[in-house]
Amino acid sequence: MSLRATLQALWRARRVTEALPISEISFSGPRELVGSLQLRHVDAGSCNGCELEIASAFGPVYDAECFGARLVASPRHADGVLVTGPVTQNMVVPLVKTVEATPNPRVVIAVGDCARDCGVFRGGYGVVGAVGDVVPVDVSIPGCPPDPTAIIEALRSITRR
Amino acid sequence: MTAGAFIVAGALAGLAAGVAGAGAPIRRRVTVAAVLVWVACALEAAAAIRVLSTGHPIVLHFAELLPLTGVDLVLTPLGAFFVLLVAMVAVPATLHGIGYAPHGLDSRMAACAVPIFVTVLLLVPAAGSVATFMVLWELMALASLSLVLVDHGRREAARSAGTWYAVITHVGAALILVAFLILAAHSDGQSFAALRLGARHLAPDVRALVFVLALVGFGSKAGVVPFHVWLPKAHPEAPSPVSALMSGAMVALGVYGIVLVGDVVLGGGPVWWWLVVLALGAASALFGSLHAASSTDMKRLLAYSTTDNVGLALLALGASGLFDATRHPLLAALGLVAALVLLLNHAAFKGALFLSAGSVQTAAGTRDLDQLGGLLRRMPQTGAFFLVAAAAICALPPLNGFIGEWLLFQSLLHGADIGSTAGEIAIPLAVAAMALTAGLTVVAFVKAAGIGFLGRPRSEGADAAVEVPATMRMGVGLLVGVCIVIGVVPTLILPAVERAVRTALPGVGPLSLAHGVNLQLAGLRGVLEPAALAAAMVIAVAGVMGLRRVLARRPAPRVAEAWGCGRELQTARMQYTATSFAEPVQRVFDDVLRPVQDLDVSHVAESRYFVESVTFRNAVDDGIERGLYRPVIGVVRRWGRAARQLQPGSVHRYLAYGLGALVLVLVALAVIG
Repeated sequence: MSLRATLQALWRARRVTEALPISEISFSGPRELVGSLQLRHVDAGSCNGCELEIASAFGPVYDAECFGARLVASPRHADGVLVTGPVTQNMVVPLVKTVEATPNPRVVIAVGDCARDCGVFRGGYGVVGAVGDVVPVDVSIPGCPPDPTAIIEALRSITRR
Repeated sequence: MTAGAFIVAGALAGLAAGVAGAGAPIRRRVTVAAVLVWVACALEAAAAIRVLSTGHPIVLHFAELLPLTGVDLVLTPLGAFFVLLVAMVAVPATLHGIGYAPHGLDSRMAACAVPIFVTVLLLVPAAGSVATFMVLWELMALASLSLVLVDHGRREAARSAGTWYAVITHVGAALILVAFLILAAHSDGQSFAALRLGARHLAPDVRALVFVLALVGFGSKAGVVPFHVWLPKAHPEAPSPVSALMSGAMVALGVYGIVLVGDVVLGGGPVWWWLVVLALGAASALFGSLHAASSTDMKRLLAYSTTDNVGLALLALGASGLFDATRHPLLAALGLVAALVLLLNHAAFKGALFLSAGSVQTAAGTRDLDQLGGLLRRMPQTGAFFLVAAAAICALPPLNGFIGEWLLFQSLLHGADIGSTAGEIAIPLAVAAMALTAGLTVVAFVKAAGIGFLGRPRSEGADAAVEVPATMRMGVGLLVGVCIVIGVVPTLILPAVERAVRTALPGVGPLSLAHGVNLQLAGLRGVLEPAALAAAMVIAVAGVMGLRRVLARRPAPRVAEAWGCGRELQTARMQYTATSFAEPVQRVFDDVLRPVQDLDVSHVAESRYFVESVTFRNAVDDGIERGLYRPVIGVVRRWGRAARQLQPGSVHRYLAYGLGALVLVLVALAVIG
């Protein structure tokens, strides 16, 4: 979407993306999380490209919160973990502990190519592996970085809104 | 056996306990002494109950015991109330002392001094004349002083605490003596009854002087601001059963002294006297609770909290005097009832808290809250007793603290229009001070219970702590039981309190607070149904627990590690400490507490970007000690140094002094003659 269109959309005070009808999104989460999904974000070694897109997805333009997904400050408040980046050595234990600290039923969402298969960092000396090698992943979002619309689509596949 | 014989037999049993403590072999001496102390307490309590049930005082006179004056014992209902209070603390404290003995109470001196201390505490409220009172008062000070000094060989702090306590308590005793001497000089005899008759014809200025002297003298024993500085030093250093006796019983006798002089002997006074009492009470309550909230040493915290509770009792006493001076007898009686109930409650829960602090100290080897933690799991009974006593001191229903504060609030709130402008300004301020005190007390005891007993142990000592022997637990348990019983059925004690109050305020009609199991203020609006309240709370808690069990359809809980932001290393040091818990309060009251803070950061030699070590010190010392006492001590020390120059060790000069003094006296005689 061009800058001009974005500014026009903002001026008209509505969302930039018109959402897909929910029937077109496949369902991929536990039943209990339908309607409301609280997420704790973990940067396991990302270049921060995915962080920008996540920030954008939860910002006023794309507004993921209106689909029932929300970022929270502690895994104790969360239903799921949003993981970005390849898992580096220093982040293995914190990632495992964060997922462990999230109450069941929970989802783990791997955001971006690095989280799926280490992306351009594959084979790096500090990289342990993809997120799926460390904790079980429920939903993956491809892209380097993924578009906010892709992130929102993945979240809506869990919230069903 | 007549009632007087009970008093004598009790005193003899107490003395026998002292002898047994000094003489028996080390393994049995504390137990034997304790059993004899219980006999003494039972006998004195029997006499006290007799006095309280009949309302007639017991009068005894032994001409042979004390040269010139003899010993006069007059057990009035007011004194009987305090005898019961002392006995209530002394029995559990000595029971706890049996288990505590190996930690510093089994020396001959200590095993002898504890029974003597208890016996004297039991007899002080029964003293009927100035000579008897002062002898017993001094014995009480000396016995407690020797117990504060039990650990003097090992701890420098005990010696320092002993010095502070000795000086302050003796200056106080001197002031009390002067007050009594002034009264006795204008009376026909030295019994309190004679002083009372003599005091009627005294000039108002003299009466005021006597009252102020007695207020300061007894206030120093009661730990009232600004004479409280010995409390946070002596209470932590004394063995815990002794701390419980000193804080629960001895301090209450300080307030007894103020009631004795102010109400019984002088028969009340002008409004300003009681405004001073009210102000001292409010200041003590606020200062004590504030320092309790910022202390990290468990027993120091409890000592400051003693100042806080005595402050509340003085608040009630001041309000009572104020109402009496403005001719509101019913309110005056209610205020005094509140003061006595507050003291009794304080004796129960502070005794329990000091005893459990002693249990913690023996089990964990420290009483520094920053080194404790996780004790509830390791010492379940001691921990549970501490939690109940802490809830009682925070005035939570259905425990006894709530009853006392309810009575005090009722007397203050009903005193809103008493027809004295100063009083009408002071009463709302007192209510405000009391409210702030209540909040700060909660902070202090959430800290003491939460940091000390919950969480994970912060030191190896706390980790290795095991439950203390049964005698120590039973001692604490008895006092906690008293807290619960008074909280649920206060009507058990209220008739006795009312009778005690009538000794001090004889003009009062029947208050009849007790209506079955409920409290009702005759002639005023105010009803409290403590038994119903307790039942409602039990039903509510049980109901919620039961409903939760019935309605919950959750899966079985999963046990996971405490959330530590995903750090690899989680240690007990990452918990909240007592210091960090108190930090916000300390910051808010920075101007009053004036903490001394020191931050030292040293860098490695190669680069200032790398820190080698960080040292942080934070200490809250007593502002009154620093501002009021230290300068005086400095002056005295300078004088002492100057006086030392008079004594260079030369015999010739000493002879010259003698000659000089003789010449001076002769010249003076010649001039005068």
